[in-house]
Amino acid sequence: MKGRVSIVKRTKPKNIELFPSDRLIVVVGNYGSGKTEVSVNLAIALTAKRFSVSIADLDIVNPYFRCREARILMEKHDIRVVVPPAALTWADLPIIVPEIKGMLNPKESQVNLFDVGGDEVGARLLSSFADTLGDSPYALWQVINSRRPFTDTVEGCLKMKAGIESTSRMKVTGLVVNSHLMQETTPEVILEGYHLARRVSELSGVPTRFITAMDDLADAPELLEVEVPILRLKRYMLPPWIRPDNEEDETDETPAGRTVPIGRPQGAK
Amino acid sequence: MAKVLMKGNEAIGEAAIRAGCVHFFGYPITPQSEVPEYLSKRLPEVGGKYVQAESEVAASNMIYGSAGVGIRVLTTSSSPGISLMAEGLSYIAACSLPVVVVNIMRAGPGLGGILPAQGDYLQAVKGTGHGDFQLVVLAPASVQEAVNLVILAFELAEKYLTPVMVIGDGMIGQMMEPVEFPIEGVGPPLDPGDWALNGARGRDKRIINSLHLDPEYCNKINMDLKAKYDRIKKNEQRWELYNCEKPYDLLVCAFGMMSRICKTAIDELAQAGYRVGLFRPISVWPFPYATCKQAMQKAKRVLVLEMNMGQMVEDIQLAGQGTREIDFFGTAGGKVFSPDESKEKMLYSLKQAGAGKSRAGVSQPSSKSEGKPKKKKAAKTAGPAKKRKAR
Repeated sequence: MKGRVSIVKRTKPKNIELFPSDRLIVVVGNYGSGKTEVSVNLAIALTAKRFSVSIADLDIVNPYFRCREARILMEKHDIRVVVPPAALTWADLPIIVPEIKGMLNPKESQVNLFDVGGDEVGARLLSSFADTLGDSPYALWQVINSRRPFTDTVEGCLKMKAGIESTSRMKVTGLVVNSHLMQETTPEVILEGYHLARRVSELSGVPTRFITAMDDLADAPELLEVEVPILRLKRYMLPPWIRPDNEEDETDETPAGRTVPIGRPQGAK
Repeated sequence: MAKVLMKGNEAIGEAAIRAGCVHFFGYPITPQSEVPEYLSKRLPEVGGKYVQAESEVAASNMIYGSAGVGIRVLTTSSSPGISLMAEGLSYIAACSLPVVVVNIMRAGPGLGGILPAQGDYLQAVKGTGHGDFQLVVLAPASVQEAVNLVILAFELAEKYLTPVMVIGDGMIGQMMEPVEFPIEGVGPPLDPGDWALNGARGRDKRIINSLHLDPEYCNKINMDLKAKYDRIKKNEQRWELYNCEKPYDLLVCAFGMMSRICKTAIDELAQAGYRVGLFRPISVWPFPYATCKQAMQKAKRVLVLEMNMGQMVEDIQLAGQGTREIDFFGTAGGKVFSPDESKEKMLYSLKQAGAGKSRAGVSQPSSKSEGKPKKKKAAKTAGPAKKRKAR
């Protein structure tokens, strides 16, 4: 299967190429590495490339700021969002809905994304799929933010990788660099994470698949040295006092038709 | 030091370590569980001890014991857990021991829900436990300020030998923001002074006890505590005034995260020509009554916005002493006002005050000062009084 996502004007590789194993993409990493923001953006980017995308919220460790909060937004983009029932959105229970098992073997034109909870603790639930998965191909992408505690060094990233692999009974197949300091991100912060990931790649043999950058930073000249694709990010998981800058996604609706207590990730007027 | 991206709860844990805190006792409860989780990893790295207690009641007695032997200690919990700790906090205050408690508030009453709220204001500032005692209570409005105030909390606890509480809603515990730590490494150990039970060899024995059957002596303990609280009231008031340097028609009063949403609303209203100021108490006890009153006097009307049913309103009323009409809008249960809803409430109050758009034309919004309280008085702003050397 060939798929190309994200178009960035660059001299270096332009697109995130999907390998045949990339139909089931499991996104892991430490707390706050940005798994959800990457997953939501990736899902939207893939839909734009005419993939039929489903995303499952497998975060059983975080109480807020999970991808279920961006449900309406993603459904507007024709993404199938597999989340616990509306009444249990804020239940603080480790809910795994039955549809998830059906997502383990995606068809040709499908991409299924699993947004998993943080650290090895969050990855533990993946081990329950290991048997069903059998020899089926999968992509397990470890998201790295070099400005997060515990993954600011090569050793830390490798330790996180080993922990996740141990509890999930799966192998990390790619690294995703999501180095940022939110609105204080600079190209240097992104490059720092890129170089960190390259060293992790060298030591582990796991390739760095792509880096991410907010829309306004993606074309920074400093990033020209990056030899992997860039996924342009919009910030969807916002705290309530920050206005979304993506007007097109404005909506008054809220997840599951209820008041959104935390952020208004799908934008608001 | 380079900035790092941290979840509020993690940053609170790290701030405690930087302040030299080496003991943590607590019990998990959403939305503060990342504090114990983080400290269970980090404390062993700095030679500290982490114990998950069997309950919050036990945890509050463990911090009592740790402070009693002169070892710097932290506990954290969320609303229902704090209720369970109330007994221990009364004993700790009675014995004049330094502890820091963080309450990452969730929706209540009862078990409520896991979403953010500010419903423990009155519990924290007026009635945590039994008897005549008072907590010093600090309310941060950003992850960076949570770091600064946790460090300050240890300083105040040890300066006045009293329990200090930091209250934040669930959002501040769960959200991520870039932070930097004003202290490198781990702060120096707690000064055991002349009170800690650190071995009586070569000196007279010391006793830490809150049972005083002699009414004269028990009264003296209460009088001493009152004198201490009076000193704290005099010296430790902290606040932020936002958009108050120019004339304003409406003064909004909000604390913690709610104030941050108000700032967005105030900036947008300023662009539309409305004149709104914000008063934010940082120390909600001691409450900065005098400053609040001054700020109220400059406004035609006052609006209080809280993520509770109006718990801070009576402090605003006490400050204003009936001189200004006060409107209140609150939200609870985990629902947070949006900037638009906040604007709506502000426009209502402006209308009630008969205040329209500024005739002087569109006024510019105040510079963003998130995480950096305006330094009204240098000695009274948030943050550690001085950077301490690493151990």
